[in-house]
Amino acid sequence: MTGFILRRLLSITVTFFIVSLLIFLAMHSIPGGPFDGGDMPMPEAVRATLMERYGLDQPLYVQYAKYMWGVLHLDFGIPFQSPGETVLELIGRAWVPSLVLGGLGVLIGAPLGILLGMAAALNRNSWIDYLASAFATLGLTIPVFVTSMGLILIFAVWLNWFPASGWPEPEKWVLPIAAYATIPLATYARYTRSAMLDTLNRPFVTVLRAKGLSERRIIFQHVLRNAALPMVTVFLPMFIGTATGSIFVEAMFRVPGMGAYFVSSIRTRDYPLEMALMLMLTVMFCLAYLISDILYAWLNPRIRFGGRKG
Amino acid sequence: MTLQAATWRQRSPAFFAWRRFQANRGALVAGVVLGVITLMAVAAPLITKTGPNAQDFLITSLAPPSAEFWFGIDDLGRDFFTRIVYGARVSLTIGFAAAFFSILIGIPLGALAGYYEGRADWVIMRVIEIFSVVPPLLAAMLLGALTQGGFLTIVAIAALFGWVQVCLLVRAQVKAFKEKEFVRAAQALGASPGYIIRRHLIPNAISPIIVGFVLAIPLAMMLEASLSFLGIGVPPPTPSWGQMINTGMSFMYFYWHMAVFPTAALAITVLATTLFGDGLRDALDPTMKGR
Repeated sequence: MTGFILRRLLSITVTFFIVSLLIFLAMHSIPGGPFDGGDMPMPEAVRATLMERYGLDQPLYVQYAKYMWGVLHLDFGIPFQSPGETVLELIGRAWVPSLVLGGLGVLIGAPLGILLGMAAALNRNSWIDYLASAFATLGLTIPVFVTSMGLILIFAVWLNWFPASGWPEPEKWVLPIAAYATIPLATYARYTRSAMLDTLNRPFVTVLRAKGLSERRIIFQHVLRNAALPMVTVFLPMFIGTATGSIFVEAMFRVPGMGAYFVSSIRTRDYPLEMALMLMLTVMFCLAYLISDILYAWLNPRIRFGGRKG
Repeated sequence: MTLQAATWRQRSPAFFAWRRFQANRGALVAGVVLGVITLMAVAAPLITKTGPNAQDFLITSLAPPSAEFWFGIDDLGRDFFTRIVYGARVSLTIGFAAAFFSILIGIPLGALAGYYEGRADWVIMRVIEIFSVVPPLLAAMLLGALTQGGFLTIVAIAALFGWVQVCLLVRAQVKAFKEKEFVRAAQALGASPGYIIRRHLIPNAISPIIVGFVLAIPLAMMLEASLSFLGIGVPPPTPSWGQMINTGMSFMYFYWHMAVFPTAALAITVLATTLFGDGLRDALDPTMKGR
């Protein structure tokens, strides 16, 4: 197991550097830079000074080496769009709305999805099964900004129950949380249903029934525990995945979070911020998969990594 | 016994696939809906009054839907029904083109990885691993912003992230078939690896390839809509649903039609394509059902 974790950590480190190099090259590969003016033209001398100040006049490999050296010391540089703070400070400020909304969305959506999936599996081919399938398909296929648009149109424009956009007041949280919640709800409804059905068809369930155990104890003590495995492993990647959704949800509901900065960092060529956000997400995804794999092995005594090469 | 067997009609696998597909009512309806949308996209000039960018109704800009203008008029005096129908053209073209390029990249790489295993497999799987940890939408955004969007760029980006699925499906199928007797026999007869892959292994992987192709379409359409929504996809005035949803956001309180129709069009098309693909998968390979 330790060998497996070490090997995976090594591969994550390699992935990290490859991804950082790819992003760095992609960012710098086309002509133009962050201080080319656009809205605010500036004299050539000022531009040159700014470029020098941020080290953008140096050869690319020097810039890359310097930036990555900084990253290893947890110094992600200074965002061009708000030079009064460091990238870390900006991210520390921006991730609060994203985490609150995305986190609540997952915490509300996942249990609802599990309940829906259970109900669907236990009442196969009933109306609730069809409802669960419909929800799952809708949630998994339709892009989150379309869901958001639908929610806004129905609950803000038409029924006028909740405000459509904004951030600090809790009543403005309702719709974005609902938009976030559709993804875990759909994912869990589908996973729970298929995992439960798989387990219900196993011979040990028949044995339990034959020995006279109550249906309730069979479901909750035996079936659910066995079916929980795949459900545990999808949780973390899905949770990190809300970061991708945040770009659209925050644009739709005008929330000043990470997603909003993602878009603006790409638009304004804010190299340090862009790099930092991409690298953080990559690391979080890698770690999420690693932790999921470890959890899976830990919860499932039938699987042990390391012995055979997979 | 043999006589009786001879009177049974030989049915092709395609016949049974079609029977299974027909039994799946949702997929059948989705297929019909997708067919209608495709027909509308192809026949767009015949069923619409004007060109997609003609600002013929400036005086009645933002007019709500009426008997004459089914979906109303948009903010720039264009018939919104026309815009939506031409939007289907853009969306479907990008979807199909991206799916085509996905299988074009995915099939050879998948066959290579599955047939040779060893080093080729290792390299291809590591590449796929990198693709799997970078969220496709974010990477697509980065690339979209860098290249300033555009039709071909979107197709390229969608194909860049679409081939992974096809590659994995083909790899699994090739791996499963290459130990079979008929492949061994071909090898013994001196057939070259390239010939075996082309003549035996890829034809046997046709079901997963078809499924991979159909399921790559909605992903590409979603990618296009998402990028266009953020303003880094297909540039205006080309009609794109994602773009229209973004514009509709500013108008939705007073001119609901600007937001409702593109949202519905995108949702219905993506949903129909996905359901059709899922149905096709279940029909072509019943053992994969429910995955």
